[in-house]
Amino acid sequence: MHALVQGLILGVLTAGVYALMASGQTLIFGVMRVVNMAQGAMVILGAYLAYQLFVSFGLDPFLATPITTVALFFVGVAVQWVFLRPLHADDRSQLSVLVTFAVALLLEGVMSVVWSTNDRSINTSYANDSWTVLGYQITAVRLWAFLLSLFALGALYLLLNRTRLGRAIRASVQNPESARLLGVEADRVSAIGFGLGTATAAAAGSIYGLLYPFNSGSHYDLISRLLSIVLLGGLGSVGGAAVGALVISVSSAVVAATVSPVWSEMTFFVVLLLVLLVRPRGLFGSTVRGAI
Amino acid sequence: MTALLEVAQVCRSFGSVWALREASFVVEPHTVTALIGPNGSGKTTLFNTVTGYLRPDAGRIRFDGHDVTRARPAALYRRGLSRTFQQARVFNQLTVLENLVVAGGFGWAQLFGRRVTRGDRDRADQLLAEFRLGDVADLYAAELSYGQRKLVEFAAVLMSTPRLVLLDEPTAGVNPVMIETMERHIRERHAAGMTFLIVEHDMNFVMRLCDPVVVLDQGREIFTGPPLAVRNNPAVLDAYLGA
Amino acid sequence: MRRFAGPARAVVFFTVLAALPELGLAHWVLNMLVFTLMFAVMSSAWNLPGGFAGYPSLGHVAFFGLGAYAEVLWFEHNPIQTGYEPFALLPLIGIGVAVVGLPVAALAMRTRADVFAIVTITLLFITQTLAFNLRDLTGGAQGASIPPAPFPAAGYEQPFYLVLLALLAFVMALTWACMRSKVGLSLAAVRADEDKAAGVGVHAQVVKLLAFGVSVGVTGMVGAVWAYYEGFIYPQFAVDPLITVAIVLMTFLGGRATLWGPVLGAFLLELAQQYLAYSLGGSQFYLIAYALVFLVVILLLPRGILPSTQDWLRKRRRRRAIDSASGELAFSGLAKGDQP
Repeated sequence: MHALVQGLILGVLTAGVYALMASGQTLIFGVMRVVNMAQGAMVILGAYLAYQLFVSFGLDPFLATPITTVALFFVGVAVQWVFLRPLHADDRSQLSVLVTFAVALLLEGVMSVVWSTNDRSINTSYANDSWTVLGYQITAVRLWAFLLSLFALGALYLLLNRTRLGRAIRASVQNPESARLLGVEADRVSAIGFGLGTATAAAAGSIYGLLYPFNSGSHYDLISRLLSIVLLGGLGSVGGAAVGALVISVSSAVVAATVSPVWSEMTFFVVLLLVLLVRPRGLFGSTVRGAI
Repeated sequence: MTALLEVAQVCRSFGSVWALREASFVVEPHTVTALIGPNGSGKTTLFNTVTGYLRPDAGRIRFDGHDVTRARPAALYRRGLSRTFQQARVFNQLTVLENLVVAGGFGWAQLFGRRVTRGDRDRADQLLAEFRLGDVADLYAAELSYGQRKLVEFAAVLMSTPRLVLLDEPTAGVNPVMIETMERHIRERHAAGMTFLIVEHDMNFVMRLCDPVVVLDQGREIFTGPPLAVRNNPAVLDAYLGA
Repeated sequence: MRRFAGPARAVVFFTVLAALPELGLAHWVLNMLVFTLMFAVMSSAWNLPGGFAGYPSLGHVAFFGLGAYAEVLWFEHNPIQTGYEPFALLPLIGIGVAVVGLPVAALAMRTRADVFAIVTITLLFITQTLAFNLRDLTGGAQGASIPPAPFPAAGYEQPFYLVLLALLAFVMALTWACMRSKVGLSLAAVRADEDKAAGVGVHAQVVKLLAFGVSVGVTGMVGAVWAYYEGFIYPQFAVDPLITVAIVLMTFLGGRATLWGPVLGAFLLELAQQYLAYSLGGSQFYLIAYALVFLVVILLLPRGILPSTQDWLRKRRRRRAIDSASGELAFSGLAKGDQP
């Protein structure tokens, strides 16, 4: 029982990071109908940037987040502009998967050249602090990470729902044709949407670097989990991504605590399989089938 | 006489928007029935629901006496119900001939047979001649003009000699000569026993060709009758003008 | 005369390739050819669902790994005497992998093409994780081994080479038969517009599953040959995402939904790969170069070499026909008057 609750706590705290990463991914799909296979690599790049700032300037990764977020926003815009915009509209959904996968490999290659392939992690002074509440352990880092994720998700929510830019983005997600007729510039929205998606990856990256050791090849694990989360929540739904992250993260942590850590990785995939069997469009996704 | 197509109390929503609210009407055999209504009245949704691309949230659809409410498009096609699309959809990477052959409805054994057999060629040739597409038979569909593609689409759905053909705005985007051609083909097929249900905006076309006319407004049928009666009906005028 | 051009090309190609091992080439050349053939077979197999059906699977290497482990596991309990038993097992492995692949495909193909790519990639990761975790079965990270082939060192590669050549002939024959049958016609319709295909009664689900099943079966067989060739297999190499990337890239480069495209892509890319590995050595730059080549190919030549060449030739022929019609422009079917 104790293990179960401990697992639950861990799952909830970790869900924040995954929710943040997944929200960016699902936003990109919503705006551009593009599956960004490089999202995992973007998170790792964010982690490396935070790591470098920490090692070179002693800057705390939480404080480095604004810097890395902005940096990766521009990286995202550049990627979209150079590699995705030239694709023809009909081919785009098929080819974008391959193109972004190639971008992920490119990033992996660049990161391994710049930082070599050794494992890195960001070891701040408070890395090992923890509290014990009611007999359950809560690590400081995870708690701060969770709070930052909430903050970032909140900021994203405000941006999407309270600003003109956000309205333009949401309009493009719901109905690209109408949005265009109403004067929303599809190209610009696509670029900004992609940039936002990668910016959230940067925010998640700082956190990720604090929580886990990582290297240039870590993006494979990440992207596979992100895809499961996004499919569970429903492609295009940011709220769905948050819920999906919670469900998968909690079940994963519970399995790790009660059964075995080895099989907790499989939880992601088992959940994915169930989703595809029962409800292919995910919890909050819209049906894209049909000749409409 | 039992109706060929019966749509009974069909409802369909998209989120909080109800596109079809208990829409009900019938299509009698050997008619050229029109389905008209202002924009947003639910005509295309109705087509998609009847042809199996969408599932109705409630209601029933019967075709030729069988319940087809949950049937999928391929099954309906094999039962004899085919349709065209608002934006003419043909297989761009296939030739005109192949577009026709692939719509011919072949069984399991023929699946492993030749891509285009002598028999396929003969059947297609008839339609190609009728629609004057013989010259372009070996061109890729993508190379044709829009009007020609509409003809190919129409010819293709006739390959399986369906009982009921649903035409989604057959005159949209084509010149008057093509409209005349379409009309002629519909009349000829109708004379040979085929039934049509046509969604149209071109009122002259409807008046000339169709009887009865079913009027849809806000997802529900508001009037059914001969073309002249429709033209003068106050409810119909209200729907068009008031929208 | 034209009708025999295709088969003649094939006969020449295979005869030349079959004769190569007799020429006393260096081991590293034969080794390179073995891998080139592996990729040629896998690319051609991938072409069936990925090119013809329009469902780009990014997880095909999972079935490669499946075939590899199946072969290794079988021979943990059965002896190798003549050295040809592993080859004799291939048809069984092919069928086995196909049988496993069918329910997976049925499930995955309920989705659109982009989601399909995600699902297949996830499959790849699941398989790799299983390969690592099911230690009792696969040996986990320690790897698994198969007794070495008792072939003389001088002509060691030859049997593998010939078996792969036979596999290539097999998959190309199947592709050719598919293209000439209504299966190919149905697949082309599905690829062009699946909803419309359903609307005209095409047996979409059947042909998609057929393409996928055959494809993964063949891929599994290549995996089995590879396992026997290598002797030692590890999860990260048996189920390596880079193999999927290579297969997809080769097919794209040569031309999806063509008969020779994947083969052309495989030969070109394998040569390039050897060159890159030779000059760049270390894995980091190698990865960058790979990714860049991939991006350049997709962005500049999205349809691949063969289709682009065919298009260019056809346009040239059409232009000549128009020019030669004295003064009059031939409008045959090219009227744009009705464009909305």
